[in-house]
Amino acid sequence: MSNLNARLAMRSLKRDLRAADVRALFVALMLAVAASTMIAFFLDRLERGLERQASQMLGGDVVLEQRDPFDEDLRTELENAGFTLSDQVDLVSMISRGDRFQPASLKAVDDVYPHYGSSRVDLGEGAEQVASGPSPGEAWADPRLAQLIDIEIGDRVQVGQTELTISGIIEREADQSGGFGSFNPRLMLNTADLEATGLVQEGSRVEFEILAAGSPQALANVQGLLNELRREGVEVSDVRVDRPQLGTALERAESYLGIAGLAAVLLAGVAVAMSTRRYVERHLDTAALLRCFGASQRQLVVIFSLQLLGLALVASLVGALLGLAGQAILLWLLAGFLPMTLPPPGIMPLGLGVLTALAVLVGFAGPTLLRIKRVSALKVLRRELDPLPPSAWLVVSVASLVFGGLLWLYSGSLPLAAALLVGGAALLGVLWGISALLLNGVLRGVQSLSGKGPWSQALRLGGRQLARRRQAGLGQLMAFSVTFFAMAMIVLVRGDLLNTWQDQLPDDTPNYFAINIQPSERQDFEDAIGPSAEAQSALYPMVRGRVVAINDQDPREAVHPDARGDNSLRRELNLTWQAELPEGNEIVAGEWFADEEGEGQQQDWMSEVDATAQATPVPISMEDGLAERLGLTLGDQLTFAVGSDEITTEITSLRSLNWDTFRPNFFVIFPPEVLESFGHSYITAFFLPEEEQSLVNELVRDFPGVSLLNVEAILGQVRDVLAQVTRAVELVLILVLLAGVSVLYAALTASRPVRAHESGLLRVFGAGETMISRIQGAEFALLGFASGLLGAALAELATAVLYLYLLDLAPRVHPELWLALPIGGALLIGVIGHGLSRSLRKQAPSASLGLLGEA
Amino acid sequence: MLHAENLTKRVTSGERTLTILHDLSLSVAAGESVAILGKSGAGKSTLLGLLAGLDTPSDGELSLFGHPLSRLDEDGRASLRAGRVGFVFQNFQLLPTLSALENVLLPLELSPRAGETDTAAQWLERVGLSERQGHLPKQLSGGEQQRVAIARAFVSDPELVFADEPTGNLDPDTGAQIIDLLFSLNHQVGTTLILVTHDHALARRCDRCLRLIDGHLAAFDPHTLASDTLESEEART
Repeated sequence: MSNLNARLAMRSLKRDLRAADVRALFVALMLAVAASTMIAFFLDRLERGLERQASQMLGGDVVLEQRDPFDEDLRTELENAGFTLSDQVDLVSMISRGDRFQPASLKAVDDVYPHYGSSRVDLGEGAEQVASGPSPGEAWADPRLAQLIDIEIGDRVQVGQTELTISGIIEREADQSGGFGSFNPRLMLNTADLEATGLVQEGSRVEFEILAAGSPQALANVQGLLNELRREGVEVSDVRVDRPQLGTALERAESYLGIAGLAAVLLAGVAVAMSTRRYVERHLDTAALLRCFGASQRQLVVIFSLQLLGLALVASLVGALLGLAGQAILLWLLAGFLPMTLPPPGIMPLGLGVLTALAVLVGFAGPTLLRIKRVSALKVLRRELDPLPPSAWLVVSVASLVFGGLLWLYSGSLPLAAALLVGGAALLGVLWGISALLLNGVLRGVQSLSGKGPWSQALRLGGRQLARRRQAGLGQLMAFSVTFFAMAMIVLVRGDLLNTWQDQLPDDTPNYFAINIQPSERQDFEDAIGPSAEAQSALYPMVRGRVVAINDQDPREAVHPDARGDNSLRRELNLTWQAELPEGNEIVAGEWFADEEGEGQQQDWMSEVDATAQATPVPISMEDGLAERLGLTLGDQLTFAVGSDEITTEITSLRSLNWDTFRPNFFVIFPPEVLESFGHSYITAFFLPEEEQSLVNELVRDFPGVSLLNVEAILGQVRDVLAQVTRAVELVLILVLLAGVSVLYAALTASRPVRAHESGLLRVFGAGETMISRIQGAEFALLGFASGLLGAALAELATAVLYLYLLDLAPRVHPELWLALPIGGALLIGVIGHGLSRSLRKQAPSASLGLLGEA
Repeated sequence: MLHAENLTKRVTSGERTLTILHDLSLSVAAGESVAILGKSGAGKSTLLGLLAGLDTPSDGELSLFGHPLSRLDEDGRASLRAGRVGFVFQNFQLLPTLSALENVLLPLELSPRAGETDTAAQWLERVGLSERQGHLPKQLSGGEQQRVAIARAFVSDPELVFADEPTGNLDPDTGAQIIDLLFSLNHQVGTTLILVTHDHALARRCDRCLRLIDGHLAAFDPHTLASDTLESEEART
């Protein structure tokens, strides 16, 4: 029997492919799959590619760092888990050439280095990409070191007890590991020469690193081991957690692409719902006839479900192929922006695409399809006996539930999906009410038009047509407004996202950091860079201090075991003092240092600090991320060792700050005066335009003690990533717009027979083609106008919520939206609807009227 | 074959209840052909719907092939019809997306048996359309479409065929051909035939005629009246 049903279903489907609604259904499903698979394919590959890039910046997928050499067992364990290991040793040492000495940040790399990417090194014939480190006996210096001690390629430098030949000037290291924290110029050497230098000795300040490269699976396998290492005090960087500088931009882009993909799926779902309605209406006669011939209700459901299922499978196959092609085109478009080769597409997104198509079909077409089951056999005798359409609530509920499921699947968060769903459902209820009011308002407004011109008349008549089909009109109004809303939201979010990114890294983002400016040369330094630098951050005083106690306990005992390896407990922190909250910082808990009323108390702890027998703790402000990592909160006490003194402090405020700004940021800020008596220097960041680069040489000459750090390369990398992501965002936007058009097409196809009937009747009653054309144009335009208005309201509301809770942007009102959507909607729906009805207007009335009868 | 007792059908429209059929009783024996005449809106189609089990009566009992229909649900009544009841409709009711042959095949596919395609092709041949097997309904004339519908009604070798105004949408000449075809096939196969019509020429070909006036059924001899008299009489009532 089922075989028979399948045969019957497929045979009718083959014939049915000619019908407009089946085509619309096919196109909608195909688009849903194309959008979701393209985004999934692309995101999957981009994600893996960007992770690779992050790995490159990090130096490996996992980087372990500690003061002592790592033991062999750990190495073996990592290798067994599937990692390739590279050893690296970082230390600061004095190097010399002749009579010139300079402290340098030494980075010793092995023959495996680098795991990913390549360095940009001048080996004597201009800068080139080099995918290795220096050979034994050789070393590479960065341009600053070369300038400071005046070395050229071929020169020999003294490093500890050995001499190395400079074989290259390194402009950009393949990775940022080992040394971004140290501000001395770089000298890269081979680990083989390390022993000969005699620099690695008991008690010397050396960091040993293992850079491990492996698959995500390997990474997942060693999570337990990594946690254990963290507890033992090893600093562990995991590429999935520690993506230097790419973090927020990437997260937002992924959220955006995810939302855009879902918007496309939602739109396609609406299109599916509308096409199915028409499809079912067209097949009610068939169903009644089959009932007459003795088919059971179940059999009807099976036959028509199989038909749609067949359609969905073919559509998802075509859609998946399109998605695959789409992501290939996307990558090809982005080729120039992708410095990395992406891994090949995986199989997962394909399954996701088919699953999406089926879910959309079941959710958006299911309840409507069940209407076929309820058809009465008596309909063959009495045509008007159509089963009632399923209640709008049922259709919406089932669709929402399925869409919620998809949200869950895509977002991976049940609470988020549930919240969006409940919010969406509530919104839909409100939307229905508002739509009805809005439609009434617009129609009333149109009816009160007193003009005698043909357009006023067309508007009145068009409005009346719309009023007559109020329920259908309301449905279309909702579908169109949801479409406009989704399209507008995607455009808005894109614009605001890009603006935020550009704002975040404006053209004058500091490209130099100047560190170690002594109080005595502070003014001279500012005067020196003042005329050339186009932007400069404030000068921050900096004192190095180490956390020696938390709440009177050993810091490692006081914090959560997972936080024991945290950098902040292992190294000296840069402490600063400020009277005002620095730009870009925001107090999230507690209060910033009081100026006036705390005066008396301040005196107290001031005098005690002076007496170094302090009892009242000094208030400090801590970065909220660090506090969270260490499990600290307001009121917790930290003791810092600064020089030979100890200062006990109490957290009185927590600050959030944006680490992506390329400005000096501080974990801990003290109130003024407390630290001033300690030895301190200043740090600042400034932007030096290309043509002013010669100033760097002057600064290096005039302020030999000041370290200048060029972050142009890192900035460039971050900008590259943003550019790539922006392109991706734009392509996805096009897809969403296409899905929106499919909704318009489906809606207009669904209402075609009714409109044909109306225009046929109008023709019979003597209306000319011009008149009918105007009436139809006016009707569509009115519908578009109302939909645009509602869509604008929805988009405004939704973007505000999105910004606040998902994308972490500041919400704002978009006045342009309220103008563009209603007018654009009227034009778009008016023109498309009018165009699609052209053939109807050309038809003889007998033919148009026949459209509602039997074929 | 078919036995109806005290059938009543009421419909409610707003607050008004309208009784379309009053206390109708009717028996049809196997192999008999019965015509039900009546003017437009007399309730002919409603009665046909009840008799075929497409609809349920408000009161009364009806049994088809010995099964009381009141004890069957919608699906039970459908399975009772499957393969045993054929239909011919005024508006043909061919599926627009299926070819002539596929339309004839449809009832067979719902109650499958061997060689169904050959059977369907033979029936198309019997109604004179063997050359038009692959044509879609819209490529056929009204008369041809009704012939396809007749082939479809007989293809499953039914015990009972219902015909609802089978000539209603056809011109008189074509209608006459269709009547000839319908009765000749009926005689060949020996099917029971219940047809509803206002065409007394058609009614005259049946073994028995009943007339539906004001919801009541009365026996009637179509041979006693000329068609115009019938029409004018109906117009008065």
